[in-house]
Amino acid sequence: MLAIIGQMTISGILMGGIYALVSIGLTLIFGVMNVVNFAHGEFLMVSMYLTFWLFHYLQLDPYLSLFLVAPALFIIGALTQKLIMQHLIDKEHYTQIFATMGLSIAMANAALFLWKADYRMVKTSYTTSVMAVGDVVVSYPRLVSFLVAVAITLLLFAFLKFTYLGKSIRATAQDHHGAKLMGVNIRKVYVLTLGIGSACVGVAGALLMPIYYAFPTVGLQFVLVAFVCVVLGGMGNITGAFFGGLVIGMVEAFSGFFIAPELKEAVYFIIFVLVLLVKPSGLFGLMRA
Amino acid sequence: MVRVIKEKYFFLFIVFLAAILPVVKNEFVVHVFIMVFTAATMGLAWNIISGYGGQLSLGHAAFYGIGAYTSTLLYNHLGISPLIGMIIGGFLAVVASLIIGAPCFRLRGTYFVLATIAFAEVLRILCVYFRGLTEGSLGIALKFEPGFAHLMFEHKEPYAYIALGLMTVVYYTSVWIGRSRLGYYLIGIKENEDGTQALGVNTYLVKLIAFMISAFITAIIGSFFAQYILYIDPHGEFSLTLSIFIALPVMIGGIGTTLGPIIGAFMITPLIELPSLFIGGQYQGLQNIFFGVILILVVIWIPQGVLKWAQEKLMRKS
Repeated sequence: MLAIIGQMTISGILMGGIYALVSIGLTLIFGVMNVVNFAHGEFLMVSMYLTFWLFHYLQLDPYLSLFLVAPALFIIGALTQKLIMQHLIDKEHYTQIFATMGLSIAMANAALFLWKADYRMVKTSYTTSVMAVGDVVVSYPRLVSFLVAVAITLLLFAFLKFTYLGKSIRATAQDHHGAKLMGVNIRKVYVLTLGIGSACVGVAGALLMPIYYAFPTVGLQFVLVAFVCVVLGGMGNITGAFFGGLVIGMVEAFSGFFIAPELKEAVYFIIFVLVLLVKPSGLFGLMRA
Repeated sequence: MVRVIKEKYFFLFIVFLAAILPVVKNEFVVHVFIMVFTAATMGLAWNIISGYGGQLSLGHAAFYGIGAYTSTLLYNHLGISPLIGMIIGGFLAVVASLIIGAPCFRLRGTYFVLATIAFAEVLRILCVYFRGLTEGSLGIALKFEPGFAHLMFEHKEPYAYIALGLMTVVYYTSVWIGRSRLGYYLIGIKENEDGTQALGVNTYLVKLIAFMISAFITAIIGSFFAQYILYIDPHGEFSLTLSIFIALPVMIGGIGTTLGPIIGAFMITPLIELPSLFIGGQYQGLQNIFFGVILILVVIWIPQGVLKWAQEKLMRKS
């Protein structure tokens, strides 16, 4: 029993790394722009397909294509900001929600139309390779994805903390009028933020490909998890989203074992509502990005 | 003045629609009318909480699904008439709206949107999981026994009249709400919730009441529609796509206006239905890309909706 619990904790935390990466992008965008990007999941879907096609046609290893997919997603995010969200900055909240919803529907269906509903998977030599630590089995690709997720979080944190651009992003998140008065180019910050947030899912997509499959609606299931992680960590809080991801990864592993795998999403939702009721600022409330 | 004229013409419009329905012999055209009327009715219902009150719900599919499943299960298993099942479904949806609204209306904006999405998703998951009761992903086919008591008919015309009737009732209900104290409170909440609260309005209760009314109507349509299509399944009834398609006509016609949902439904629903005549199901994706793009363009160019946009144009001319 102890071994099972250890196993579930490890599996949960490792999967949580991916959730963390998806959630960090979402929470960064929310923190700076006060916009929930509903197309975030579809960005993940696109990055998974990009990784898949790079592997399919060029036999490029997913861990290498990461360096192509992340910049590509940066561009998609930046374009989304320039072409769509820029027009909606000072508009009412619902316009931003429906714009990203529209983008989400369009992208998911474009994938369905272009690439059909088939499940696509990348088979690498290391897909099923594992390492045994005592009684606990650790999957290599999951371990790698977790470590990369941690590294990206630290990098992002350092970027926001120490660089001028990072500081201007944080300033905009705190008070965009104030930042504007101090000479920060807000439009540029917004473009950059959506770009970075999307690049995070670019990385997540590439890391997911060796252990998961791509299909047109894969985005929805991940973005729902990400919403829960983001709320759990406090909206706009990057560290919070990271730990939120780990917590939800573990919740998923445990509820899958003790309750039923099909019901794990119902379990998140109950947690989600409980957090909203008890501590709407999130479990890691105060420290904002 | 505009308002009085608008309502008089609206009644004439309903009479006109009722009169042309028997003249139209084409089954497909009648089908499009049914789709337009139901889309308009759901849009009107959604508009009460999300348009007047500014509380965006993207989980209305949950209420629709509750309506569809309640009447269908009661009918298939216990032989209870859908006319009664419909009302029971409506009240169950009201209970569901309380369960989701009570915690989430304490919070503002985005949290509510997320919670409504999650709620509908969870219902979909539960519906798939409890396959003993709901047949899971397979869905349920309704036993076809025509008759008014079962709300099932051989031809499409009776459905069209019922849908038209529902649309008319819900339209006048929402006109009435718009003019009642509740409507003014809701608009107050949308414009400035703190201010409204400061004037002594229990905004929490007002939002809950509007949400319950909206949920009830949506469930009624869900169960009516199950009688029409004779088949329901969890991925259709509880999907996020359905929730967005409930909101789509309202966004196009004009969110927060009474006539907007109807205008939007007349504009967009034929576009949803017509392609199915010419192209097969494999182009479903293509069609939905179009609607996604429409949604983006509408919020960028005419976020106030076609109705207000046209009014502004006319005002400027005169």
